[in-house]
Amino acid sequence: MKHTETVKIKVALLRGVDEVDRLLAAGSGNLELDFTEVNFISVEGLEWLEELQLRAQSQGATVTFINLQPEQYKVFKVAHIDSLLKACGAPMRSGPSC
Amino acid sequence: MTSSTREKEPGLVEQVDHLVRQARLAAAVFTQYSQEQVDNIVKAMALAAIDASPRLAMVACEETRMGVLEDKVLKNLVASEFLYKQIRDKRTVGVIKEFPEDNMMEIAEPIGVILALAPVTNPTSTVIFKSLCAAKTRNSIIFSPHLMAANSSNMAASILYEAALAAGAPKGFITWVEKSARLRRETELMMVHPEVDLIFATGGTQMVKAAYSSGKPALGVGPGNTPVYIHKSASVLSAVMDIIISKTFDNGTECPSEQTLIIDSEVYDEAMAEFQRLGCYLCSADEVNKVADVAIDPKTGSMNYRLVGQSAAAVAEEAGLSVEPATKILLCPLEGDLRYHKLAKEKLMPVMGIVKVDSIEEGINRALDVNYCGGTGHTSGIFATDDKAIERFATNINAGRIIVNCPTSLGGFGGFYNNLDTTFSFGCGTGGGNITTDNVGIKNLINYKRVPRRRNFTLTFQTTKNIYINPGSIEHLRSVKTKSAVVVTSRSAASRGHLSLVLERLPADCNVDVFSQIGVEPDWETIKEGIATMRHSKPDTIIALGGGSVMDAAKIMRLFYDWPDLDLKDISANFLDFRHRLNVFPKDVKTQLVAIPTTSGTGSEVTPFAVYKDNTTKHKVSLVDESLLPAVAILDANLTRSLPPRITADTAVDALTHALEALVSILSTDYTDGLALEAIRLIFEALPAAVADGGNVLWRHKLHNAACLAGMAIGNASVGVNHALAHSLGAAFDVPHGRANGVFLLTTIAYNAGIPTKFIPHSTYPLFVADKKYARAAQFLDLVEDESAGLAHKSVPGLVLALRRAVYDLLRQVDQPLSIEELGIGQDEFHSRLPALVESAYNDMSMRTNPRLPILVEVGELFLHSYQTRQRP
Ligand SMILES: [Fe+2]
Repeated sequence: MKHTETVKIKVALLRGVDEVDRLLAAGSGNLELDFTEVNFISVEGLEWLEELQLRAQSQGATVTFINLQPEQYKVFKVAHIDSLLKACGAPMRSGPSC
Repeated sequence: MTSSTREKEPGLVEQVDHLVRQARLAAAVFTQYSQEQVDNIVKAMALAAIDASPRLAMVACEETRMGVLEDKVLKNLVASEFLYKQIRDKRTVGVIKEFPEDNMMEIAEPIGVILALAPVTNPTSTVIFKSLCAAKTRNSIIFSPHLMAANSSNMAASILYEAALAAGAPKGFITWVEKSARLRRETELMMVHPEVDLIFATGGTQMVKAAYSSGKPALGVGPGNTPVYIHKSASVLSAVMDIIISKTFDNGTECPSEQTLIIDSEVYDEAMAEFQRLGCYLCSADEVNKVADVAIDPKTGSMNYRLVGQSAAAVAEEAGLSVEPATKILLCPLEGDLRYHKLAKEKLMPVMGIVKVDSIEEGINRALDVNYCGGTGHTSGIFATDDKAIERFATNINAGRIIVNCPTSLGGFGGFYNNLDTTFSFGCGTGGGNITTDNVGIKNLINYKRVPRRRNFTLTFQTTKNIYINPGSIEHLRSVKTKSAVVVTSRSAASRGHLSLVLERLPADCNVDVFSQIGVEPDWETIKEGIATMRHSKPDTIIALGGGSVMDAAKIMRLFYDWPDLDLKDISANFLDFRHRLNVFPKDVKTQLVAIPTTSGTGSEVTPFAVYKDNTTKHKVSLVDESLLPAVAILDANLTRSLPPRITADTAVDALTHALEALVSILSTDYTDGLALEAIRLIFEALPAAVADGGNVLWRHKLHNAACLAGMAIGNASVGVNHALAHSLGAAFDVPHGRANGVFLLTTIAYNAGIPTKFIPHSTYPLFVADKKYARAAQFLDLVEDESAGLAHKSVPGLVLALRRAVYDLLRQVDQPLSIEELGIGQDEFHSRLPALVESAYNDMSMRTNPRLPILVEVGELFLHSYQTRQRP
């Protein structure tokens, strides 16, 4: 059982967060991103989150998202990106999931 | 399809997926934007478009070799400056509209990813228009340009995108398909791509058709063929100038532009002379044929695309005509049957059909010929000052825009010559195979979320204004202001001495007539006779003296006496909810109605109800309206002293049922509750004594008041399931109304106190409380629940049981039947008529205010449970 580290994401997720990239690269365990304070995610932010999932997968680690505000959870819903919805705990499906 | 495409056209699917994915992410991010952020982005885009308008026009002219540079600049400005002014202050984010009166609001939800087509005729203005609309509504937009105009369309898209991005728009919210041989294939793939939410099509008929057949929601536009009628009332000279402006605009590429003119003969010569004076060329019959041969493609029968947006001189040259190079329009008189003429079709070039007509009828009919020749739902125009002519034209022509006294092309855009919404996408309704006739714009790019809050209807309490309530109050008749009165009563009133009591007390100078034909169930014929009596003696006052039937009949007679033209059909429709009923009653009544009840039961003296029997259907018809309320009620218990015990008990049980049903009705209020509770208490107190000692006026008085209080309660809260069952049983077996009510009471109280199988939907009945209401009645009566039933002290079920026992004891005490069997109805007969009984009760309006929605099978059970002789519960 790998240990899980929680990282609090800051108010606006406009681009990748270096600290998260470093922690993942260090390969010390699973990550949990806390979105409590996040009130905006940009297109670049979304792309980084998706890419983060790919990197984690290749390393055999997981990156999960917790405490999303509805406004940002809805961004994931509209974006139709499976890996992001799964990181919020949704069941995996092929194709756009709801 | 996708996998085979992947193999055959490598990279194509990936390219499409990439474009759509960019748009999808941007759409998702856009959902977080505020109105202020959006408005800043739109402003920046509009400024960039205004700035680039001349440059974009030039590029478009060069690339398409169509239209007129100056006009393309103008179109770009309409799409930016005019559109911006119209949408600038519109709310498109969050709560966009509130409807305080309806307790409702509207919230905007973006559409998502829009695939937009741009036509060759307006390659840059359409892109400016659609980009601004998409940004204002927080949607992503992917442009698929026309192959022959792709560079100019994409340049417009790119300029607007850069400006938007600099103002903070999400990356990738505007994208476009690059010009290439694969453009058409990419567009087709996107049309069916699962991540595209809406297709916003403008362009050739084929593309619009493809959009609609993609299976996705689509906003498309149909083809046009604009007829314009110059009515004899028009200011001809300005009409001619407007038409020249419009038809020459961008060399006629605008689809709302004039295609065929229909001109009244009175102004025909003046119009044609002015056209020619201003530089238009009038073709001879031979020349018209030559023009038709080149303007219309003989292979397709529709316009020749090669000549779209070319100058008049260029078209003339192609046709072998020699005209001045500066010629504005080729005018082609269309001889013969218009419906067979080649040139009666759409031709987006400076070629215009001309038809002379001799009347407005012919004018509109010829306009219809053009309208229905490929242009239904699109645009038409009329020049006239006669409003009737305009309205008749507009009523008959099928067009989304019927432009009055303006150029149809510039008028169709909106915002330029009139207040239509600015657009470059003309909805054509079902006439053009579209979903809307709108000038399509931002309002069509929003998912409207309606948020209705629960609506609480106004509750009111109404009853008879003046009620005289003690024994001896009949004396009040002496002070009733009347010069002429009709007394409506029954034959028995005379025999019981009541009639003389009334007649003696009316003022000496009052002219009095008596109508005493009311029987047990007054029918419409009897009511008509009464009205005839009134018409003859013209009373200012009607006095209803008797029981419920007499009072009900007098109410209806008074209404029809005051309103002779009233149609019974307009006021007697059944209804689910009083506030939504179709019945329209008069607002007021002028003849005074004085009600003097001689029984203590219906409470009709204070209710807005009246029932009569329809002789043809044999059904009872209920009328409900304030205009039926008497103005005065005189409750003199002396008039009830001669009632036999049987009728005393029957009518009192009716009153008791009224009070019990009003108490639990879904329309009950604090006002009716108080009345109902006191009515119940008085009946329990007075009924046994009044039955035992009918001559005792004190108990008669209490019972009389109880019936009146219960009447006020049902007059506002109505009755329930018990009445529905009683109406049905009473009609089938001829049982007096009160007695019929009594046999169901123990069953319906238990039924209404139970958890409903189906709750009754009603906005002002938010909580099921029938059981607690019965319990309150039991407490009000000081009943003690029987410990032997094993129910907790003061528990609701215990109190409901106590109430049922008390009702049982009361009815037994006054010798009232408590079940159907006790009425003497045989088991076989009852069972054979049960289906009809159930049907009739189920359809009774009284059901609709019952706290529990009785389902059909339950109605049958209620009858069955009420059959056998009762034991004390
Ligand atoms: Fe009744």
